[in-house]
Amino acid sequence: MASSPDVPSAGNTPENPGSDTPPEAANAAGSTAGGERRGRVRARRAAVMAVPATLIAAGLAVLTAQGALGVQFAISGMPFTVTATELNGTGFEQFGALDNMAEGSPNAGDTGGQVLVVTSAIKNATLTKLCQSVDLGGINLLITAGSGAEKVSATDLTTDSTVLSGNAEFNNIEIGNDASTLTKAGVKGPIGVFSQQADTVRIANLRQTNYATTAGVFKLPGLKLRFSDSGC
Amino acid sequence: MPDRPHRGPRLAFRGWRARRPFWGGLLLTLAGGEILLTEKASLKVVLHIGMQGLAGYLLPGLMVLLGLLILFNPSQRLFYSITGVLLSLGTWLTSNLGGFFLGLLLGVIGSCLAFGWLPDQEPRVSRRARRKRARAAARALTPDRAEGAA
Repeated sequence: MASSPDVPSAGNTPENPGSDTPPEAANAAGSTAGGERRGRVRARRAAVMAVPATLIAAGLAVLTAQGALGVQFAISGMPFTVTATELNGTGFEQFGALDNMAEGSPNAGDTGGQVLVVTSAIKNATLTKLCQSVDLGGINLLITAGSGAEKVSATDLTTDSTVLSGNAEFNNIEIGNDASTLTKAGVKGPIGVFSQQADTVRIANLRQTNYATTAGVFKLPGLKLRFSDSGC
Repeated sequence: MPDRPHRGPRLAFRGWRARRPFWGGLLLTLAGGEILLTEKASLKVVLHIGMQGLAGYLLPGLMVLLGLLILFNPSQRLFYSITGVLLSLGTWLTSNLGGFFLGLLLGVIGSCLAFGWLPDQEPRVSRRARRKRARAAARALTPDRAEGAA
């Protein structure tokens, strides 16, 4: 199946593992044929791998769009916006932190390369009508999901944001803990920093400008990934 | 692409390139790099999240490694390219939807090119020359001209 009929039999199997294709040998082979004998991609052979790979990739995209597969995000380096009409979460922590930019980053400006951020960590969250946009310089990469009946769900969602807005509602909130003693979402902040945590959280009309990082596993039913002129 | 071989380093590079799946390995390396670029999250956060977060770095890192191995150890290209295509597909789940699809696409194309590559092939014959030869053979006219095209 993998071999095309017009392929020399010697080329059907990889060369001896020991031989490192010495240049002298290849040059000698080239000179015997009169013209130059170069390696080449055989289309049929490449298709043997390309066809199943394409099918698997399509399958992954479909399963993700149905919310059957969770995908993981870890974006950083540029600010991006996350909006959702409603966020429900269990296990919520929030504390202040200082993010350091890379040495000599052009985004540093007069801040000395440091950004004050609010780190929010949510153990389990469901979001309705999630929209996430990254400004790639003129054009926005837009990801929307969860606009249908099924909601987006995320686990171990950790975001460092500079702006966080919405109508929030907390259950069993503890305000003023030391950030290093947090327990609700499994993330611990630096010692001596103000923090708060709650058992559950509900934020309506959530809007976040995330500066540095988010990492978590998302299930994105109704996934749509596209480029757009405007962000969320 | 230069058709006429030049003397010096360019000729040497051309010869080096002819002996390995150059574009396949290069694309796979670039794909891994692109995915790593899209997730410059601080490792501290990733370590909080645990092994699942670490996989987001592991897969594209291995893609870069396999791309380089395809370039510098082409005799094992079948194993590298099959592993490479599986890793590329895996990054959809672990690393920002495969570097927002771009890295996934490059990685799969690169792996397929490396898989389909064979050493020591006949020089490429352009479609026009091939058609011309076929026509000449069909008409059974001036066989010496057909030979000249080959």
